[in-house]
Amino acid sequence: MNEQGNADQGLRIISYLISGLVFYGGLGWLADHLLSTAFWLPIGLILGTVAGIYLVIKRYGRA
Amino acid sequence: MSGLSSLLVPMEGEGDHSGWPPSAESFNSRPLFPELGPNFAWLNNHMAQAVIGALIVIGVWLWLARRHSVVPGKRQFFGEQAYNLVRNSVARDALGPDFRKYLPYLLALFSFILVNNLFGELFVFMFPTFSKIGYAYGLALCTFILYNAVGIKKWGFAHYMRKMTLPEGVPWPLWFLIIPLEFLSNFIVRPFTLALRLFANLFAGHLVVLVFVLGSTLLMSMSEPIGQFSVGLMKTAGAVGIVFSFAIFALELLIAFIQAYIFTVLTAQYVASSLAEDH
Repeated sequence: MNEQGNADQGLRIISYLISGLVFYGGLGWLADHLLSTAFWLPIGLILGTVAGIYLVIKRYGRA
Repeated sequence: MSGLSSLLVPMEGEGDHSGWPPSAESFNSRPLFPELGPNFAWLNNHMAQAVIGALIVIGVWLWLARRHSVVPGKRQFFGEQAYNLVRNSVARDALGPDFRKYLPYLLALFSFILVNNLFGELFVFMFPTFSKIGYAYGLALCTFILYNAVGIKKWGFAHYMRKMTLPEGVPWPLWFLIIPLEFLSNFIVRPFTLALRLFANLFAGHLVVLVFVLGSTLLMSMSEPIGQFSVGLMKTAGAVGIVFSFAIFALELLIAFIQAYIFTVLTAQYVASSLAEDH
């Protein structure tokens, strides 16, 4: 893997982590908004981060 | 909308701006022919400079490609060096043996971004086109269409979507957790951050230049003291600021090049990743 490939890989890993936070955090926020609760957002954020990290390990953790 | 979020939507700003203090409004476009009314407001100075940038790119490459000889002259040598930079260190590194198909797009992309970025440091325009986010979105859209189209062409739609949304070795109970993330990451976040990276670097850089140059000029034009600051102190600070602004300009030249390069590199990588056997 060359130097540019590494740069791309780093940016993709960030993009996975962002996606996790945005998607599941967003679902959590939506649930809070609709149900008038306040605990779904942190649950969603944590779940999203976990899913993002899991995805990074699955994609890049083998080498 | 106000504040930062309004920067991310490509809209024309309203109203005239006096120029001080420098702000996001310093980036508003001016219609070239205000007398024609709002129907022709799209024909503004920044669009004109993007078109001129494209013409410069076409002209320069035509000029560099003319009358080649076996022993290259200075012009041909320069042209070949610029071509080799994109060909060898971007296209061939990322895309492997069949890089040739994508080379025209990559080279055009690189030179177009570079020329438009340099507009921010050179006279005549003094404004980097891609510090307007709409232009950066346009480029990212081209790249988005390219890497998806070649992926779909090579793998077929269903296989390509599966490849881009499902990494190998994920047990099926986790699919519902993973698929939306992969989709969001590959089809939305990556092209979006590609545009944002270009936009934010040039926007911030140009704003810093504005603050340095305009602020220093304002300080040097002071004629009466403000509070405990004497006129001499303010004029000295202004002169020092002007000198420092040249360092900022040098930094911006570097950033103009780096951003053009990284955009091209990442475009090549995106194409490579949608063509790759597995990743």
